Amino acid sequence: MQSTFEFEQAPPISVPYRFFLGGPPFAVAAGLLLAWMGPAALVSRWNPQLLALVHLLTIGFMLQIMAGALLQVLPVAAGASVPRSLWLAVVSQAGLVCGAVLLVTGFALGSALNFKLAIPVLGASVAVYVLFCGFALARTKAQGGTVLALRIAVPSLVPTVVFGGLLASVFGWGRQLPLMELLGAHVAWAFLGWGLILVMGVSYLVVPMFQLTPAYRPRLATALPLLSLLFLVGWTVLDLLDRAPALRMLLALMEAGVVTAFAVATLVLQRQRRRKQDDVTLRFWRTGMIALLAVVALALADLFTTDPVIQETLEILLGVLLIVGVFMSLINGMLYKIVPFLNWLHLQRVVSPVPNMKRMLDEKAMSGQFRMHLASLVCVALAVFLPWLAIPAGLLLAGSALWLEWNLAGAVLLFRRLARGPGVSLATVRPVSR
Amino acid sequence: MLDPIVVDARGLPPPEPMERTLSALDDLVEGQEVLLLLYREPFPLYGILQRNGYAHRVESTQDGTFQIYIRRAT
Repeated sequence: MQSTFEFEQAPPISVPYRFFLGGPPFAVAAGLLLAWMGPAALVSRWNPQLLALVHLLTIGFMLQIMAGALLQVLPVAAGASVPRSLWLAVVSQAGLVCGAVLLVTGFALGSALNFKLAIPVLGASVAVYVLFCGFALARTKAQGGTVLALRIAVPSLVPTVVFGGLLASVFGWGRQLPLMELLGAHVAWAFLGWGLILVMGVSYLVVPMFQLTPAYRPRLATALPLLSLLFLVGWTVLDLLDRAPALRMLLALMEAGVVTAFAVATLVLQRQRRRKQDDVTLRFWRTGMIALLAVVALALADLFTTDPVIQETLEILLGVLLIVGVFMSLINGMLYKIVPFLNWLHLQRVVSPVPNMKRMLDEKAMSGQFRMHLASLVCVALAVFLPWLAIPAGLLLAGSALWLEWNLAGAVLLFRRLARGPGVSLATVRPVSR
Repeated sequence: MLDPIVVDARGLPPPEPMERTLSALDDLVEGQEVLLLLYREPFPLYGILQRNGYAHRVESTQDGTFQIYIRRAT
């Protein structure tokens, strides 16, 4: 039988790659903004420039790359191909990029007009994306933890954007809305609804597949996203209505239990992997899970603290660990597995034999970038307590993101060279050396 | 009934599971099945099987293993 794979379900390689290459420049900008803000950067979470920085990372880097990866993952994980994927990629990425720039400049410049423009642009691009991916997820007959998690994560973008849009309308039109409650709901749905449940679903697939571990237990895999959704809905409703504080606290504690169970299960599986040597993706993933446990510890400390000064510090540190420690680590590690695999998969159609996947990205360059990412994480976290560290922390964050972009661009250029160049000797293919 | 050709692809990195399965299908004899063991459902494989005249059925176990039985479609 033919040994080449079929591509009817997989999107064109330009679909995920445009998102992957579009994300890191936003993280470079975030790092430079942090360095430019200097010691005042991480003092108050209400600082508009810090909010600009956060959205450079959450929309520009995280959402953009996660959205692109999902278009690639859906056919593999769920047998669900997204209709008109190239059109969707172009439209939704343009919307996300323009919306992120408008929102960030709205915060940074205090421009009401930018907020007014950012709301419909981000709202429309997310709506189109959710509609198309939701259609694919609704049609598939696949069962199991991954599909369930994706079916919860993707629609969770809607409350994330609705609550965020309401918050932005306060800045755009000066509307009088309950800021704290809306902010709580926006952050909870962004990180716990969309972000973490997506990570769960993707982990169920890629941790055993790429890190060669046993599988997550099926009951655990379905229970975690379902319980997360249940606690999140309950907490949001009670918080917006300002009712039942004791029950809200209980729901928050139970959600902390769910997140802890996921992180511990992942770390345990990683210890049981068949091949004991570490690779860079495993190190990124392990960093992300340890940071996730630290986030839970900080969130619990925050729940039981009444001192507003300590709460402010805890919440800024929590944000740093969640964004840089958890999501940037996991995304970064994931990219280093997906990109070589996609290169290999798509090259099958045009060259034979296809070079080994390990030749697509230089291991030393990936390891170096991992160390720089780790240094930036430690430095940004310490800058919460030692404000003068904000400048080196910002430069490290920008440097790490630039290095990531450089590594990814090298792999993409290698793909183009191999796909176009019939005269290339495959025996000599090496990662682009720098 | 002939014993199935077992392809235990748990713990193998991509693309080895797909390659080993396709290779095993080349060795199938009449009335025999390939039993693929994997920690995920191999959706990309299903399309290939269908187009090449194979049928499959899936069973899952409590440790997260999917057992995919593949045979010539009748």
